[in-house]
Amino acid sequence: MDIVLRAIVVFAFLMVLVRVIGRRELSSLQPFDLILLIILGDAVQQGLTQDDYSLTGAFLAVGTIALCQVLVSYVSYKFPRTRKVIEGVPIIVLQDGEPIKDNLSRERLDIDDVAESARRQGIGQLSEVKWAVLETTGQISFIKKSG
Amino acid sequence: MADVPDRLTLKQNRDLDGISRVPWSRRVILTLLLVFLALGLANVFGQRPGTSSAATPQAQLEVYAPTHLRGGLLFSARFHVVATEEIHNAILILDPGWLESMAVNTIEPSPLGEASDNGRLTLQLGHIPKGSSHILFMQFQVNPTNLAWQRSADVRLADGSTPLLHVGHHFTIYP
Repeated sequence: MDIVLRAIVVFAFLMVLVRVIGRRELSSLQPFDLILLIILGDAVQQGLTQDDYSLTGAFLAVGTIALCQVLVSYVSYKFPRTRKVIEGVPIIVLQDGEPIKDNLSRERLDIDDVAESARRQGIGQLSEVKWAVLETTGQISFIKKSG
Repeated sequence: MADVPDRLTLKQNRDLDGISRVPWSRRVILTLLLVFLALGLANVFGQRPGTSSAATPQAQLEVYAPTHLRGGLLFSARFHVVATEEIHNAILILDPGWLESMAVNTIEPSPLGEASDNGRLTLQLGHIPKGSSHILFMQFQVNPTNLAWQRSADVRLADGSTPLLHVGHHFTIYP
């Protein structure tokens, strides 16, 4: 029983943590972020299964986390209003090549981050961009001006 | 605004209508996280040991052990008995809180005898001459499922059947 409760608490904690960390951190997976992810996984595992080396324990922990994830996505699908809380909403950060400063600062982004993302998508000039949208995944989508 | 990407609206996705411009909930949660970490630094969640002691004209007892622990932690307790007067048959009496869901890895030096006194663990240390001291070390590991809030773990010192000292101790064990 203990391991299932632990898994639920760890899942909830990580979910809240990922939401509050912010999208900027989520969007970039630099080598250092990758190392942090591995350390995070190891630290969480210790608290989750502790000295339990059994297959049963591993199945209970993984199964609980998988079910929690299914439950969260079901709630977000069934009740669209909760999506705003669980995933957030896409935020427009650039319109007609002009940055929307309030939205950028809310997400701790600056224009250089947006320009970098644009370059990755083969866009050299922000003035070519009609809309730039910070998606809930942390990626920035660009829609170019037509014509 | 026909040219706004599908499923987005300027009201919600640009002007963030209904969404706080300053992400207060995020700030509150991050502040709580900071407080949590500060409490951890302040030893609220263990396992740094502390000293509690008691003394009478006959003897002095010092218990050096943590009071706050977490599941799975290894820790050590040191019991230091100083005989101001000769103690013929020193007996250390530990509350059951010391052993409840704890693994006792070792006791050094081994006591002369072990017994139960109304559910308490008694460790017979034997004769301690006047002016001498006896130091007993116990190594423990907290069972991962062990949870406790201010569980009594008092320590008593007796000379045979005569009580000498009482040191208050407790354990709070976090998951």
